[in-house]
Amino acid sequence: MLVEVGKQVLLAVACASYGVLAAAGVFTIFVVIGLLPRFAGRTNTAAYIMRYENAVIYGTLAGTVLTVFDGGWEIGARWQEFCMRNWPEGMNIGNYLGQAFLGIAGIFAGIFIGCLALAIAEMVDSIPIFTRRISFEKGISLSILGIALGKLCGSLIYFFWGFYGV
Amino acid sequence: MTTTVYLKCQRNVVSSLPDVFLCDVASLRCQDRQISAKLSAIKVHHFKKQDASRCVISTLHVIKLMEEVCPDISVEVIGESDILLEWVSVPRKPWKQWSKVVLVCFICFFGTGFTIMAYHNDVSINTLFGSIYKLVMNREPRGITLMEISYSIGLAVGITVFFNHVGTKRITKDPTPIEVAMRIYEEDVDRSIIETAERAGWEIEGDDADGSREPFRGQSKKHRVDYRKGSNRKDG
Repeated sequence: MLVEVGKQVLLAVACASYGVLAAAGVFTIFVVIGLLPRFAGRTNTAAYIMRYENAVIYGTLAGTVLTVFDGGWEIGARWQEFCMRNWPEGMNIGNYLGQAFLGIAGIFAGIFIGCLALAIAEMVDSIPIFTRRISFEKGISLSILGIALGKLCGSLIYFFWGFYGV
Repeated sequence: MTTTVYLKCQRNVVSSLPDVFLCDVASLRCQDRQISAKLSAIKVHHFKKQDASRCVISTLHVIKLMEEVCPDISVEVIGESDILLEWVSVPRKPWKQWSKVVLVCFICFFGTGFTIMAYHNDVSINTLFGSIYKLVMNREPRGITLMEISYSIGLAVGITVFFNHVGTKRITKDPTPIEVAMRIYEEDVDRSIIETAERAGWEIEGDDADGSREPFRGQSKKHRVDYRKGSNRKDG
C-alpha cells in the first residue's frame, strides 16, 4: 500500500515537473518568434496585450485537456450524445454546431500557424539573405504572395492525398 | 555668456493636436528658468490637414529652432538623435478596437491550442505516459491516471510562472515576456521608420532641407517605401 502511494507520488511529481518544463520550452519559442507583438502592432492594440496573453494561456490549457485526456474522456462522443438527448432526432443540431466550431477553429488556427511559419522563416533571415544574394529589389510582395500560395497548395495536397500516416 | 541647455528628446511622440511644442517631444534642463520656459514653448512642428500624419524630425532641427529663439545657449543633446512624430487627430472608435482585440484573442486561443496539440502529437504523449506508467506501476494504465492530471497542473503552473500573471493580476512587478517583446518590436519599428526617413530624404533636418526634399535619384516614386501615410500606431 505504502509502496503504491509512493509510486503514485513519484509519477505525479515527475509529470508535474515535465508539465512545467514543457510549458517553458514551448513558450520560450513562442516569445522569441514574437508573434503577439506583431498582432498587437498590426491592430494598434498594444494596450490589450494582457488579454492576448490570457487567450494564449487558455488556448494552451484547452488544447492540453483535449489531447492529454483524450483516451479517457471522449469529449466528441459525449457531445454528440448530449445533443441527441436534448434535441429532436431529425434536426441534427449537434452535427451542425460541431461543423461550425470546427470551421471557426480551423480558420483561426490556420491564421496562427501561417503567421508562425513565416515568422520562423523570417527569424532565420532567409528572405533578406535571399534578397541580397540574388540582388532582388522589386517584387518582394509578389514573392510573399508566392509563399502564401505555395503554402496553400502544399497544405491542400498534403490533406487530399493523405501524406500523413504513411 | 552662454548658458548650457540639456536636451533629452523622446524617440516616439504621439500628438492629438496639430501643433507640437518642444515640451511635448523633449525635456529640458537649464539653470535659467526663463530660458527654459521660453524654449519649452517653441513650436516644433505643425501638421497640415492634407499633409502626412507622420514625420521624422532630426534633433538638429530642434536645436536650430532653439538657437533662433535664444542665440546665447549651447545645447547638449543627451536623448535620441531623431524624433518620430505622429498626429492622430480623430480618436479611434472603441468598437473597432474591440473587434480587433476579439479577433486577435481568437487567433491566439485556437492557434496556441492547435500548437500544443501538435506538440503533444509530436511527442506521442499518451504513449509516453503509458510507458512511464507501466515502468513505475508495472501494469497497463486504465483510463485517466494521475499523470495526466498532474501534467496538466504542471503545465498550467509553468505557463502562469512564465507569463507572470493570473488573469490580469501580476504575480511579480516585472513586465511579462510579451510586454518586453512588444517594447523591443516597437523600438525596431521606430528605428526602421527613422532610417527609411533618413534614406528617402523626408526627415526634417537642421540645415538646408525643410522636409520637402525630393527622394533619392534612382529610386522611383512608385517603389519608394513611404511610411508617412500609414497609421499603424502601436499604443492603442
